[in-house]
Amino acid sequence: MYYDKTQDRLTEIIKNFARKHSLWILAYGTGCGAIEVPATMTSRYDAERLGVRGAATPRQADVLLITGYLTVKTLKRVIRVYEQMQDPKYVIGFGSCAINGGMYWDSYNTIKQLDLYLPVDVYISGCMPRPEAVLQGFGKLQSLIKEGKADGARKYKDELDYYRGNQQKIIKNWDFPDYNW
Amino acid sequence: MELLLEKIRDRIKVNFDLKDSKFNMNERRIDLYIDKKSISSILFYLKEQMGFKHLMHASVVDWLEEGELEVIFLLWAPKEKISVFVKTRLDRENAKMDNLDMIWPQLNTYEREFKEMYGIEFEGLEAPDEFILEDWDGPPPMRRDFDTAAFAKDVYSERTGREDAKDVRETIAKRSGEEIPDFAKKYSR
Repeated sequence: MYYDKTQDRLTEIIKNFARKHSLWILAYGTGCGAIEVPATMTSRYDAERLGVRGAATPRQADVLLITGYLTVKTLKRVIRVYEQMQDPKYVIGFGSCAINGGMYWDSYNTIKQLDLYLPVDVYISGCMPRPEAVLQGFGKLQSLIKEGKADGARKYKDELDYYRGNQQKIIKNWDFPDYNW
Repeated sequence: MELLLEKIRDRIKVNFDLKDSKFNMNERRIDLYIDKKSISSILFYLKEQMGFKHLMHASVVDWLEEGELEVIFLLWAPKEKISVFVKTRLDRENAKMDNLDMIWPQLNTYEREFKEMYGIEFEGLEAPDEFILEDWDGPPPMRRDFDTAAFAKDVYSERTGREDAKDVRETIAKRSGEEIPDFAKKYSR
């Protein structure tokens, strides 16, 4: 047997099984969607039974929830936060604002398409999504992780120039560090 | 009530250059239209002598058709429970005004906001240049001649496919082999 990196190996399957049952989401709320997260976490919907729970710092977190509209000012912070998170990491776009601008489609200061700037693994539609929809989104993310398809972080590293180009188009006074990963 | 408001109006009229005034009995309030030169002295007088100690709000209205910006100060007298709206007009092209934050320190924040959102210059204002908007170099965004939709279309790219904003539920239902229930049909656009 030869060593093939592209093949699904047993260790990768076991790792993905562990990853999918321990999704720690970063306690970072943007926009109005963050109000749905407590409802999802607490006793009625109890997301923790699926292994979804909060994490205090970016370095401890696996999932970045973009819960609503992103102004350019917030996007700058979100990109910094995303780059500080450690692998494996996933992004969930939350609500119609993250998908296509939503009700802020004509705002002078909010972005309209999140996946130009960050690799989004799962989008949850709704304005706002109910906790049921949020749980369904996490379920979708879990099945993607199980199949090994939630590879946004790898995509971000591979196509860094594409993402950097889009980010630099709208963020003036660029003061991000250069990474060597 | 009416006597009280008239008394206030008359005292302002005697001491200052009052353009116009309007009573609103239901809301226990009086609107004073004044020139921008006497704004600081009138606000000082209202605060120190007439008991309007509380600055409720300050706001700007853009009168694009008349080429003017209207700055409004909303004051409140806690004792008499009446309010006064002090309104003054600035030229839209050359919007300049005196700094007023020595009367109420919280006006400093309002003035920074007006400067950023409406481009009103306050002479003598001591504050950092940037308030809410970060790295903003476009025109003041809250002015009415600033076309936000065109600006957003220009700067932030739009997701393609939903330009017509059509109701796509039937397409989705057909694709997934589901039926739209009757109660949901009436919400169709």
